[in-house]
Amino acid sequence: MNAAELPNRRVEAWRYSDLRAAVAETPFALGKGRDVIERLAQGLDRVELAAGEHRTVVEQLVQSSPLHAQAVEYVAAERSDLTRVVIQSGEGVALSRARVRVDAGARFRQFVLAEGGKLARIETDVSVEGEGASVELNGVYMSGPGCHADLTSVVEHKVGGGVTRQLIKGVAAKRGRGVFQGKIVVAPQAQKTDARQYHHGILLEDGAEIFAKPELMIHADDVQCAHGNTAGGLDERALFYMRSRGVPEAEARALLIEAFLLEAIPAGLDPAVHDELTGRIGAWLRERHA
Amino acid sequence: MFDVKNLHVTAGGAESSRGLSLGVPAGETHALMGPKGSGKSTLAYALSGRDGYDVTKGSAALNGEDLLALAPEERAAKGLFLSFQHPVEIPGLSVIGFLKAALNAQRKARGLEPMPAPELLKLMRAKADALKIDADMLKRPINVGFSGGEKKRFEALQMAVLEPRFAILDETDSGLDIDALRIVAENVNALRTPERGMLVITHYQRLLDYIKPDKVHVLAKGRIAASGGPELALELEREGYDKYLRAA
Repeated sequence: MNAAELPNRRVEAWRYSDLRAAVAETPFALGKGRDVIERLAQGLDRVELAAGEHRTVVEQLVQSSPLHAQAVEYVAAERSDLTRVVIQSGEGVALSRARVRVDAGARFRQFVLAEGGKLARIETDVSVEGEGASVELNGVYMSGPGCHADLTSVVEHKVGGGVTRQLIKGVAAKRGRGVFQGKIVVAPQAQKTDARQYHHGILLEDGAEIFAKPELMIHADDVQCAHGNTAGGLDERALFYMRSRGVPEAEARALLIEAFLLEAIPAGLDPAVHDELTGRIGAWLRERHA
Repeated sequence: MFDVKNLHVTAGGAESSRGLSLGVPAGETHALMGPKGSGKSTLAYALSGRDGYDVTKGSAALNGEDLLALAPEERAAKGLFLSFQHPVEIPGLSVIGFLKAALNAQRKARGLEPMPAPELLKLMRAKADALKIDADMLKRPINVGFSGGEKKRFEALQMAVLEPRFAILDETDSGLDIDALRIVAENVNALRTPERGMLVITHYQRLLDYIKPDKVHVLAKGRIAASGGPELALELEREGYDKYLRAA
């Protein structure tokens, strides 16, 4: 092992998540791979959907060890429908990377729930390679005190007629840090691409940090693209509205945060998966306000 | 009895109420009228305990219980209700979820058990029905995509479910066309009871054609400049507020 091989904040893609510092005292080995997470994961799992196949994959990313890395390559063949849910929790360093290829008429839908840890980074790299493909890339991060959660994604539309929808919502507590880096690239030939990207973060207390780097790189001229990015405190007007109806402040805060986060969960998920996600968000909020 | 005595309110560094006194007996509806900027909404916020609206002097009590030392949620549990001029949108939180949280929090504060979900839903449906509100509203996120009229009707529905002892209605007519105004006023009138007092804050006399007050008070420069019967509102409509602004 040689810590100098790991990226620190001088590497642009890791500027808000200093991996080198986070694993300074942890032994690790680097295998082969296209990037540092793939190398730490010692290779790539592969999940391939046949044409027309529908599948939901749930990845639990629990860093029971001080350093855990996993990397998966997904292929969504023509007209297939792939739903990927990543649930991250634990205390150490957790790294996840997915490379996803989306073919013509296929749908790739992802939802990431990250509770952070010493450093948790969930990276998704989507390549839209067939006409009329659709990508939905939502996520929620909840960074408690001292936790660091990083949702990073790149969607590259290489051909036209594709749709990308991204909605990331997150909260950070005192000394918690949330990171969103989202890049959408529309290649010159990817005409009629329709891409929307939104990130909204709430700083729950003084001393919370949220870093966002939204990027739209559009090289085609006949496209529809929009993005929005906000970070701020909880809506004080909404808080007063609830309190004036009798809801105590702590409960009103929890309800408002819950309502804010749940909006990012996609409709139509498998009910058991949906319940697990809402249950985890609720449990995180109850723990904070216990 | 809702009783305000010698109230002084400071908001945003300016004193907006300067020795305001006002009493509304149980079962009566009073109108508080005043020109724009006379501190009507500031008074409503101060009475319901909003941060940044500081009472520097005076008292406010509901049925003899002091309100000013209490948090907004505690005032609500004592039976105070504020119908907002601009109700707040809360995406992601349904009307049912919101009313459930509010009603059960108030019950808890009064030492009652939470209302079981089926009973609660039945209650909400019955109240919506009584106000001729479509039950579909119960499933919608709070005030999101509501028309001006729907927002004010939802305020009335909340009042119907929470059953406050005293309600302050802040510019309930603002942003409503005449048809919506009539419907909202019908909702408010349906909520008048021999026990419940109301303070209807408005700039225009028009609302008082529909919600007939027992008494009218004129607010000018932070004080009640005149009080009288419903005819006072008509006089204001004819002659404006100038007289009171000059005299105050």
